[in-house]
Amino acid sequence: MKKALPWWLLFAVVMSTMPLLLSTGSLRIFIFANFIAIFAMSWDILSGYTGYISFGHPFLIGTAGYTSAILSHQYAVPLYASMPLAILLTLIAGSLFFFPALRTRGTYFALVTLAFMEVTYHLVQVVKPQITGGSRGLTGLPLLITGAVPNYYISLFAMLLIAFGLWALTRSGVGTVLSAIRMDEGAVKSAGLNTSKFKLFAFMLSALVAGIGGVLYTHYLGSISPRGMFDINFLFTILIAALIGGEHTILGPMMGAYFLTFLLEFLRPYIPGAWRYLIYGSIALIVYMYAPKGLYTVVNAVGSRIQGNKMKDEEYDSQTA
Amino acid sequence: MTARLLELKSLTKKFGGIFAVYDLSFHVDEGESLGLIGPNGSGKTTTFNLIMSEHKQDEGQIYFKGKEISAYPTHERVKIGISRTYQIPRPFNDMTVTENIRVGVMPDDILRVMNMNSVSKKERAIGKSVGFNARQLQAHPNELSMGDLRRLELARTIATGPKLLLLDEVFAGLTAGEIAELSELLKEKKKEGLTYIIVSHDLKSLAPLVDRVVVVSFGQLIAQGSFEEVIADEKVIEAYLGT
Repeated sequence: MKKALPWWLLFAVVMSTMPLLLSTGSLRIFIFANFIAIFAMSWDILSGYTGYISFGHPFLIGTAGYTSAILSHQYAVPLYASMPLAILLTLIAGSLFFFPALRTRGTYFALVTLAFMEVTYHLVQVVKPQITGGSRGLTGLPLLITGAVPNYYISLFAMLLIAFGLWALTRSGVGTVLSAIRMDEGAVKSAGLNTSKFKLFAFMLSALVAGIGGVLYTHYLGSISPRGMFDINFLFTILIAALIGGEHTILGPMMGAYFLTFLLEFLRPYIPGAWRYLIYGSIALIVYMYAPKGLYTVVNAVGSRIQGNKMKDEEYDSQTA
Repeated sequence: MTARLLELKSLTKKFGGIFAVYDLSFHVDEGESLGLIGPNGSGKTTTFNLIMSEHKQDEGQIYFKGKEISAYPTHERVKIGISRTYQIPRPFNDMTVTENIRVGVMPDDILRVMNMNSVSKKERAIGKSVGFNARQLQAHPNELSMGDLRRLELARTIATGPKLLLLDEVFAGLTAGEIAELSELLKEKKKEGLTYIIVSHDLKSLAPLVDRVVVVSFGQLIAQGSFEEVIADEKVIEAYLGT
């Protein structure tokens, strides 16, 4: 773990210098990538690790976004109060999410979470549209900060903090237990561990990260709408970022988010309109075919080849004896 | 007099209209080793599932050290000292052998688990005690033979610090050499004071390991006593061979 610290530092420094090198437009792409990375990691700590596949992450992100948007826009609550309240409510939403996980798993759980998202999509349009903004949503929300550079640093700081925190946590015993739950939940119970407790922890953590990402994203955009938030394409962007990057690795989904965002933006000047989605889809498929475990494993394999850090038996013995 | 470690009283479990276990009562004393035998489908594994709370009994009580534990979920039963292996080994496939054992060692406490960063001596010692060498400790389950997978099951079970071990078909799929090794290991564990119940179809391998045998057929107890007594019992012969 200590060996990785210089790499984290290097990554943080490189990312921090981006505003010096890039135009405002490119910086906005980076900001978007940072948010997708946050959402993909939020998905990963729950679904990637425990195997409880969530198709409803926009429900958590949207709960955070809408709560803070409504509080700040309709009730003039200052952001420093509305944002923490929204995150708190997202945690409660996360525990709602948790109940089906006590009884269902696999496809059934995924569908239940999808239903959460769909129901919210319709509810925000129908129930009290004068407060939620109905199907058009809310615009002109107070911004956390203006300008691309400050927004970039805020999103970067949040992303780095979340990435490092989740990375360190999943490299501890907690990561082992959550992975074990994915592989065989019954065997984990037989090893004397209360899987419900560990699952609840993963759900809360996922909701916390989704909540933080959700409020920052909403007050960066300055608007929120049901179609933008509870949209299947938004869900798929998060899912594909996590899968292409490599699930249950935390760093993989982060890489995947950058890869996908840049791919899409890189193609923009060359291929007009919807055609670039075809290319984008094909590249995603190719990555999936040749690196089914994700970009993370590819990067990792290259890294170990360079460092030659495959542990020898004797080293292993001396390290653990 | 030795103390009762586990006692089952009139356990009954129905799946649909079929009784998997019917009015089953037996006990095992501290330090004793008990064989649980019977033809296929006689309810041996279901009995283990009931003891571990992987299934809930419809009727009857389970006592551990004199305490009724029917309300305890699986992980609580493991904490008080009951642990099992599975008939079909259930390793965590993406983890190494030591990591597998580590899941058994882990305390049921998120904060303490958070502070467990690297593999400790304990996992290694347990792995070695069941006969793994340094290379195997780093191997993944898909590189192991059936005998080693059974060893891994045993190691993960021992890692939870049990007083009572439930061993489900430990000899199935093993070579004669592996059976001999495993038998030696179990004898040693018994000397160390471990109590166990073994389910096995391999009666020849079972015989030298057990103090007493309980025979079930169609979920009911049909005989109990020493190994020699029960295999001479007419009802047992009938259950195994038919009439």
